[in-house]
Amino acid sequence: MATADKKITITIDGKTATVVRDSYLLQAAQGLGIDIPTLCHHRDLTPTGNCRLCLCEVEVRGKKRLVTACNYPVREEIRVETRSPRVLQHRKILSEMYLGRWPNVPVIKEVAAKCGVTSSRFASELTDPNPKACILCGHCVRACAEFVQEEVLDFAGRGIKRHLTMPYGRVDKRCIGCTSCAYVCPTGAIEVVDGLNGPVDAKLIRDYGMRINAEMATLDKFQCAMRDVGTANIVQVMQAYDLLPTHNHKFGAHPDEIHIDTSQIKKRVTQGMPDGCWKGCSMACAKVVDNFVLKTGPYQGQHVAVDGPEYETTACAANMGCFDLEFVFEFNFYCDTYGIDTISAGTCISFVMEAFENGVIDKSHTGGKELRFGAKREVLELLHEMARGEGFGVDVGQGIRWLKEKWVREYGADPAFLNDIGMEVKGLEFSEYVCKESLAQQVGYSMAVKGPQHDEAWLIFMDMVNNQIPSFEDKANALYYFPLWRTWFGLMGLCKLPWNDVVPADNKKYPPPVAAKVPGHVEDFFKFFEGMTGIPLDEEKMLQQSARVHNLQRLMCYLLGGGTRQDDMPPYRAVGPVTAEEYESRVERYDKQLRESVGVDPAGKSTEQKVAILRKYRLDQYNKAVDAAYDRRGWDRNGVPTAERLKELGIDLPQVMALLRSRQ
Amino acid sequence: MVLVNNRDRVDWQPGMTVQDLLDKMGYSYVLITVTVDDALVAKEDYASFPVPDGAAVTVFHLAHGG
Repeated sequence: MATADKKITITIDGKTATVVRDSYLLQAAQGLGIDIPTLCHHRDLTPTGNCRLCLCEVEVRGKKRLVTACNYPVREEIRVETRSPRVLQHRKILSEMYLGRWPNVPVIKEVAAKCGVTSSRFASELTDPNPKACILCGHCVRACAEFVQEEVLDFAGRGIKRHLTMPYGRVDKRCIGCTSCAYVCPTGAIEVVDGLNGPVDAKLIRDYGMRINAEMATLDKFQCAMRDVGTANIVQVMQAYDLLPTHNHKFGAHPDEIHIDTSQIKKRVTQGMPDGCWKGCSMACAKVVDNFVLKTGPYQGQHVAVDGPEYETTACAANMGCFDLEFVFEFNFYCDTYGIDTISAGTCISFVMEAFENGVIDKSHTGGKELRFGAKREVLELLHEMARGEGFGVDVGQGIRWLKEKWVREYGADPAFLNDIGMEVKGLEFSEYVCKESLAQQVGYSMAVKGPQHDEAWLIFMDMVNNQIPSFEDKANALYYFPLWRTWFGLMGLCKLPWNDVVPADNKKYPPPVAAKVPGHVEDFFKFFEGMTGIPLDEEKMLQQSARVHNLQRLMCYLLGGGTRQDDMPPYRAVGPVTAEEYESRVERYDKQLRESVGVDPAGKSTEQKVAILRKYRLDQYNKAVDAAYDRRGWDRNGVPTAERLKELGIDLPQVMALLRSRQ
Repeated sequence: MVLVNNRDRVDWQPGMTVQDLLDKMGYSYVLITVTVDDALVAKEDYASFPVPDGAAVTVFHLAHGG
């Protein structure tokens, strides 16, 4: 009987099992401990049923038929016999045929023995005595296509002439030597010849790397869809959780997001291509929009390929109020072509727009451009000016911090307002997440060594949604571990996306604080390190490696005149609502916080009064969180690494300590 | 009343399932783990798994992206 649509109860050899609709019969049988022989099946590859050894007899509504269990999807109530006389007879004949052709291949002998066959009547001129002969199982063909999406290997010929080959029988230049084919080969017909880059233990790296390859092939389509649409998969997620920055980080969602959301991007990006970022990467998240016709600038009218768009670039468009994919592609192309960072440009122009709308600047400053939110044509004009070094583009190209100083100095602008809405810390523009409701993310952003980029500590969901780090101590621990872990990727020259943009199927078995670290993948990366260097790694050693560099970086900032508490202070826009408009847009949320956390009844108070009370509370919370994070990192209350911490890390070099003393 | 993530209180309704609760919270994230009174709920059971009145539910979002 069917239960709740998604589950079906079936009977296999008299045993009852409840399985998820569309799962394969072979999995269901294995789940009951029933062994069905196979040659071509591999748990991480698409089943094809081509060896026919997994034949079973299935009865549907009173009618019996033979099916291959590995690729038979269960969609209704069935009765299955895995060892009926008819099934056993078929398997026996098949085993004899396999044994006749490849009598010395161990996996053939083993599977034939399971079927009661130890000799064959079918020896012929096709008989291959090689114990490492290719048995045409197709594992390698599927691994090439599904693990790394190269499709370099395939079968050619028909019937007895069927054989494995690359196109035209020649070594194909697209083969990148990823060794996936050899890894899944059950006979040793394809062998690995190691030698490149001289790893200490290539097999160890391969063993753990293949785990990620397999996850990408089997899990990605149910998880983040990185192969499909890349990092843009989170555009609609950010909108749904009120985290997508719109109008200079004022809000976290906008009704027009639908025009630039993940599903719209997916329709436009080129699909089905191997990765264009790092050849051989099985995640393959870099995307391209082909044949895009430019509407502005020096290449106007030309058909071009646009690399992306990534989430951040798309969110920049939302931040500028430009909810139009054509704009996103054009902005993305010209930023890339000019060598301009989309995030810095997008956040900076968003700031310019808010300043324009508030009368801080006007058309006399912008070269006549009406730079309001949503002014797509004007943004592109400004971008071209930045690249040419002309007009208002020269100023905007200097970034938010420079603009704030100039506008205060030369236009008499209110510095408090500009400091509140100018989304920069340490002179770097914020990346594209609204962090007002996540204290840990605010601190993570602002304490990041090079400014508010999200690489060091991306704790929004852990904090704001999961409520799994409620205390200052919890937040400080997360602000210790995650920045160091994520810094470690940079130290090793590794991409962090395979760490948490695909997740092992068993990650749910861990409690949330452990699951958040994705332990299975941490182990993978530790093994990569060990395989390359021969040095075993664990969490403590990893944190030590990373902390040495992280603290030295912080120290360098300090010695260069930064790296202190005042450099870790964000604009208030990152912490809470600056304006009455922002407060009113989420009035229920903010009033609730006043009542429940601040202990103030919002009734009868003006919005401006409520903004002020909330601001005081939130800044106080921010400072407490910073204190906790400094303590956890072994920094003093001014954010400078202590002598004890430097000694503990073994970086208390005499020159460093002398410089440190000279600043204190 | 149902307590979500040890913080958010959600009105309980007769017949409420995990999926109903996720919809009500607006939780559309892909990488989530749900427990109801400490019992892990499989994704394929969201539409049928009952959430009793007074239940403590955790909806753990595993950070990706970023």
